[in-house]
Amino acid sequence: MPVWLRGHSWRQSGSAVFLSLPVPGVRVTAANIFCTERYLKVSVPPFLFEAILYAPIDDTNSTAKIGNGIVFFTLYKKEVGMWESLTLENASKEKLQYLRENAVLKAHEKAKEETEAKKVTKREHKKYALEATMKLEEAERKRIEELKEQEKQKVTKELELWKDQLKDVENQRKVQKEGQLHEEVEQLKEKKKEKMNKTNIPSEETLKTRLKPTKGRGSCSMFSENLKEEQLPAPRSSGTIKINFTSRVFPTALRESRVAEEEEWLHKQAEARRIISDDLSELKDLKEEEKNPDWLKDKGNKMFATGNYLAAVNAYNLAVRLNNKLPLLYLNRAACHLKLRNLHKAIEDSSKALELLTPPVPDNENARVKAYVRRGTAFCQLELYAEGLQDYEAALKIDPKNKTIEKDAEKIRHVIQGTMQNS
Amino acid sequence: MAAAAGAGGAGAGADRPQVVSHVQQALSYTLFDCKWVPRSARLLCLGSAARGTGVLQLYELRAGRLALLREIEKAKPIKCGTFGAASLQQRYLATGDFAGSLNVWNLEAPEIPVYSVKGHKEIINSIDGVGGLGIGEGAPEIVTGSRDGTVKVWDPRQKDTPVANMEPVQGESKRDCWTVAFGNAYNQEERVVCAGYDNGDIKLFDLKTMSLRWETNIKNGVCSVEFDRKDVNMNKLVATSLEGKFHVFDMRTQHPTKGFASVSEKAHKSTIWQVRHLPQNRDIFMTSGGAGSLHLWKYEYPAQRSKKDSEGAEMGVAGSVSLLQNVTLSTQPISSLDWSPDKKGLCVCGAFDQTVRVLIVTKLNKV
Repeated sequence: MPVWLRGHSWRQSGSAVFLSLPVPGVRVTAANIFCTERYLKVSVPPFLFEAILYAPIDDTNSTAKIGNGIVFFTLYKKEVGMWESLTLENASKEKLQYLRENAVLKAHEKAKEETEAKKVTKREHKKYALEATMKLEEAERKRIEELKEQEKQKVTKELELWKDQLKDVENQRKVQKEGQLHEEVEQLKEKKKEKMNKTNIPSEETLKTRLKPTKGRGSCSMFSENLKEEQLPAPRSSGTIKINFTSRVFPTALRESRVAEEEEWLHKQAEARRIISDDLSELKDLKEEEKNPDWLKDKGNKMFATGNYLAAVNAYNLAVRLNNKLPLLYLNRAACHLKLRNLHKAIEDSSKALELLTPPVPDNENARVKAYVRRGTAFCQLELYAEGLQDYEAALKIDPKNKTIEKDAEKIRHVIQGTMQNS
Repeated sequence: MAAAAGAGGAGAGADRPQVVSHVQQALSYTLFDCKWVPRSARLLCLGSAARGTGVLQLYELRAGRLALLREIEKAKPIKCGTFGAASLQQRYLATGDFAGSLNVWNLEAPEIPVYSVKGHKEIINSIDGVGGLGIGEGAPEIVTGSRDGTVKVWDPRQKDTPVANMEPVQGESKRDCWTVAFGNAYNQEERVVCAGYDNGDIKLFDLKTMSLRWETNIKNGVCSVEFDRKDVNMNKLVATSLEGKFHVFDMRTQHPTKGFASVSEKAHKSTIWQVRHLPQNRDIFMTSGGAGSLHLWKYEYPAQRSKKDSEGAEMGVAGSVSLLQNVTLSTQPISSLDWSPDKKGLCVCGAFDQTVRVLIVTKLNKV
């Protein structure tokens, strides 16, 4: 329950009411004071003072002066006159309530209006500023445009002048040439005439027509060309220069390359070479070269070639123990297993090889084709024709020009269709 | 006729060269090459019509517009052309077409070519001529570079066989040759051909000794090479490539192992299609990009052009390149560019948006 403040005192003049309200002990701020036309409230917890005023006041101009423990109100009356009392004495509770609410509502509205007004003025200011900057920028742009226009006109004039000059030069040259031609023709005529006098052949007419200069540049060029021919060197003696193009590990230009993947592949290969697992104690009694996976691979290949498949598998096994990241080892071992009809092992090894042959780049195309073909063959021999066909098709995708793969794929398809018909 | 909208327009007040768009002409065919006819205000447009035939159009610059003087249609689309090997009086045009034929035309009588040879098996990507137009000395020669990986040098006086043939070794997989340029033609014997390939190879062939003089690889396909002047002792070579890079090589000093010194710049943010040096000032060149922009550059020489390395061999020192101006004219690549040899600053460019534009670059005297 708030404590009502009763210790207020007031006096009035014709147009204003002066109210002083002591608020002991607490600080009053502007937020604690609420005033509308007919209602005045000061709420400083736990104190509360409210007054339903006798007559409406001008709340916008009225002031409140907050001093040390006392608030001094100067309320300007809307209508001049003397008030009988500060507040409405015999107001019923409902009326009081109503008045209070009304007051609050009014205050709200007022606040809203004020904010609206503020917004509007702000917008106006912004607009004005924007227009001002726009004008400035326009001016700048116009200035630049004008400069450019001036340049353009100057330059166009120069161009026309130059063209006229050119025409003059052309005309002059034409005149000169014709003059020259005439001279030369005259000279020739003279010479011919001398000859003629000696030979008496009545073909002057034809000669004259031949000597008549043809129009245009053709004839003068003929004359001058003859002179020039002697100055130009003979055509160069033919020669051929053979060239090589810059080789790259992958022969594609930067615009076509898939550098990232290729780098990855190279990196992987390099890594694989470096792995040497040397924690196998049984290898101590092997010769140095027998610990080299490449050498072992070669050995395996040789034995495969001679048909000694078991020995080849042994060689590859040892190589894999030393370095299990070389895809070719698995690939070749798969071939051996195929020959030995260890079909499941063949499938395993081909799969392992394919795993190691990622990312797919043109460099390991051949290897991948072989892996797919071997795995496909193993599947077919196990009568898993669908999987086999899948692998053959994958191989065909990488190397579409290979006829054997195509034929084999066809065969498998026939077999599948055959079994489907039967079942 | 829209004024050129340029990112570099802000420098209008200063003494920087401005690129002013003078005339624009819309064409009804794909334009591959445009060239000024020497000693005239006429220009030539070469390209491919929609129906797959070649088009040659001769325009004249008249009072702010281009007037069509002649239109010639040929069987195969034409990719490139040059006046470089023609004499000033005749001004024959040498063209390379999509079928690999080199033809030399007399524009006054274009029905039959003056010289014709089926030089290559695939499209001739680039052509250059030297020895004509009063520039340089020695025999007039034309060099063509083709997608079949060969570079061949022709003499219009010798039929059917090239006078020099730069081809890959037997069994070598071929790379497309994208650009060729002549250089070092300062006397009657010396001549050099530079060729750029799509895998980034640049090769310099010496025609006097018929040998490969230098090669390097700039990693990205080489779109255009040009010497700053064809008729002097080779001074600078600019090579542009895909992915917005170009290299300027200082060709005066060749180191036995390191070759030529170079400086490279990144510009355009896309393929740099062409580089062309200003005929009147060999240190200024313009590059055209795949985003329809043109950049004007100036090369500054270093204090010392060569220095000795640790073993006492001479090696070159590359200078620096500074951007003078840039402008965006189109949204499509500007595939061809040519400066007029007669009027400083006048140039024509052709873009893949089927327009040919005549531009004037101002204030080049003050650079």
